[in-house]
Amino acid sequence: MKKALLLLLVLSLGLSAVFASGGTETKKEAKLIAAMATDVGGLGDGSFNDGSYAGLQKAEADGIAEARVVESKQMTDYVPNLTGLAEDGANVVFAVGFLMADAIIEAAQNNPETKYAGIDIWVDPTTAPSNVLGISFNEHEAGYLAGIVAGYMTKEYASKSDRLNGDNVIGVVLGMDIPPCERYEVGFTAGARSVNPNVKVLQAVAGDFADQAKGKELTLAMIQQGADIVFQVAGLTGMGVIAAAQEEGTLAIGVDVDQYAAAPEAVLTSAMKGITEATYQTIQSVADGSFKGATNVSLGIKENAVGIAPYHNFDSIIPQAVKDAVNKAVADIKSGKITVPATRAEL
Amino acid sequence: MEFVIELLSATMRLATPIALAAMGAAVCERSGIVNIAMEGLMLIGAFFAAAVALATGSPWLGLLGGIIFGGLFSLLHAWSTVTLHINHTVSGAIINILAAGLTRFFMVEFYGHPGSSDMVQKTLGDINCAVPLLSKIPLLGPVLFDQSPTVYFMYFFVFFTTFLLNRTKLGLHIRAAGEHPMALETLGISVRKIRYIGVLYSGLLCGFAGSFLAIEYGRFFTEGMTGGRGFIALAANVSGGWTAVGSFVAALFFGFIDALQLKLQVMGIFKIPPEFFHMLPYAATVIAVAGLVRRSRPPADSGNDFSIEKEM
Repeated sequence: MKKALLLLLVLSLGLSAVFASGGTETKKEAKLIAAMATDVGGLGDGSFNDGSYAGLQKAEADGIAEARVVESKQMTDYVPNLTGLAEDGANVVFAVGFLMADAIIEAAQNNPETKYAGIDIWVDPTTAPSNVLGISFNEHEAGYLAGIVAGYMTKEYASKSDRLNGDNVIGVVLGMDIPPCERYEVGFTAGARSVNPNVKVLQAVAGDFADQAKGKELTLAMIQQGADIVFQVAGLTGMGVIAAAQEEGTLAIGVDVDQYAAAPEAVLTSAMKGITEATYQTIQSVADGSFKGATNVSLGIKENAVGIAPYHNFDSIIPQAVKDAVNKAVADIKSGKITVPATRAEL
Repeated sequence: MEFVIELLSATMRLATPIALAAMGAAVCERSGIVNIAMEGLMLIGAFFAAAVALATGSPWLGLLGGIIFGGLFSLLHAWSTVTLHINHTVSGAIINILAAGLTRFFMVEFYGHPGSSDMVQKTLGDINCAVPLLSKIPLLGPVLFDQSPTVYFMYFFVFFTTFLLNRTKLGLHIRAAGEHPMALETLGISVRKIRYIGVLYSGLLCGFAGSFLAIEYGRFFTEGMTGGRGFIALAANVSGGWTAVGSFVAALFFGFIDALQLKLQVMGIFKIPPEFFHMLPYAATVIAVAGLVRRSRPPADSGNDFSIEKEM
């Protein structure tokens, strides 16, 4: 038994040596290595992990950098993954997701030569190391636009589709109660109330970003309370929200990316944020030397970084007045005429 | 009234996958094999149910696919624990990790991306199976008899599993394999074979439970969609005293608490942090296991390796 273990150890050491040398060979070719560590949602979340990876791939396609990705299986992987990427020669490492906020600081302190950027992460500029940048999005502004559409459609234009009812109730399902989700929810509520002050907005937290059944059950409960439009801010859990809307003949609003394709008859629109573009631009800034750490950027409608998706099948159903209201809100937010609340306390 | 009916209907939906897997666990553990691989078996079942349903357009073929692949995958657990004598917990843990990785791999292979599959257009949930007359009984009618197909299959398996374990020769052999395998072996009956059957039974039911999640309850396969239900099923089996009826009741209990916390959240009458609600079903399970398990006795030889060569 001991011999077998020893053999295994020797073999694995040998193998890792082979892989490690393979790694250094590719390093010579690319000028810059851009890497990312996903959060536990992993690639395929249709959300920030996928969006960031798309940004890396774009940079690779444009010849700016070589893209690398590692997936985190659990939260304890965050620091080792972020540190490991730097040790393997990455010039810029992306930590993707709010839940990596502490890990990125620790990794950045350990690897002062490597640039770190956190997606959906806010760093404290007074204490953060100078090689770490926080990138967050004004999700509340995207939520606000989706809220305007939902607020109008659930009441004033409820007769436009048999998927709507006259109860004047809409809902939001959150994956977890964390700031990016909260911003979407608060913006959505504010947007809906801005055009429909009496609208009732139901809210629930699934506690999970991958449990479709929970998302569906919460949505069914909302539909039972009269909700006809439910906004999902819950990653893969949100697929259950869309499934419930599809089955019960109501509507869903997608999140982060255009989720129209998941259920064309049931997805009214999606609140989106441009993670891909933000990742790409950060890599560019590292490449041209303009990267600035120990600071935060927050990207919103002004930067064209958030917005709502095309209406697809609902383009002919949503009245022009609603579309105009959305466009006006975009203009007003850009000009600073409207400030969308970002936390429940501000609402 | 409407609320109570909705709450109890949700209870049945949430309890079904857990009850199915827990009944599988009952048979598996009674045969002497500890099966913590159920989470992975369900995930495999869910993936293949969705994949077959998407490929053929038939939810029934999808269900069949989910059951068959759940069963096939469970043979891996049987092979490693019975034939290779690997520790049951180790084998189960490996299979869970393997299932998570494999489904992801297949997602990329089949659909070009990880995450969630395309939408299944026609699911078992779309098939209305309200039982005439029975579904008209006030309260219990709509809760018990206006459900989707797998819920009825689940009822059937409560009876079938109980019958199998207590009233058939095979059931006697299964119980003997878990209580005193040497006695069974000396009667000329292969403990190996019986334990393979026990594991396979749980694999088939886990495939069933996974199919329910993917193409009856849901409309997509999403990675990790089992959400710990395989482990909850294990707990339900233990607090149900390794019986089908007990597993069913324990699953109902868990389903009820889960349904209750989801409904209460949406109603928004209690202004307490959502994490408190999330904790409820699990806390209830711990209390149920701690409170009930003292009176139930596990199969004497469950979890122990059996090899006739060693015993001789």
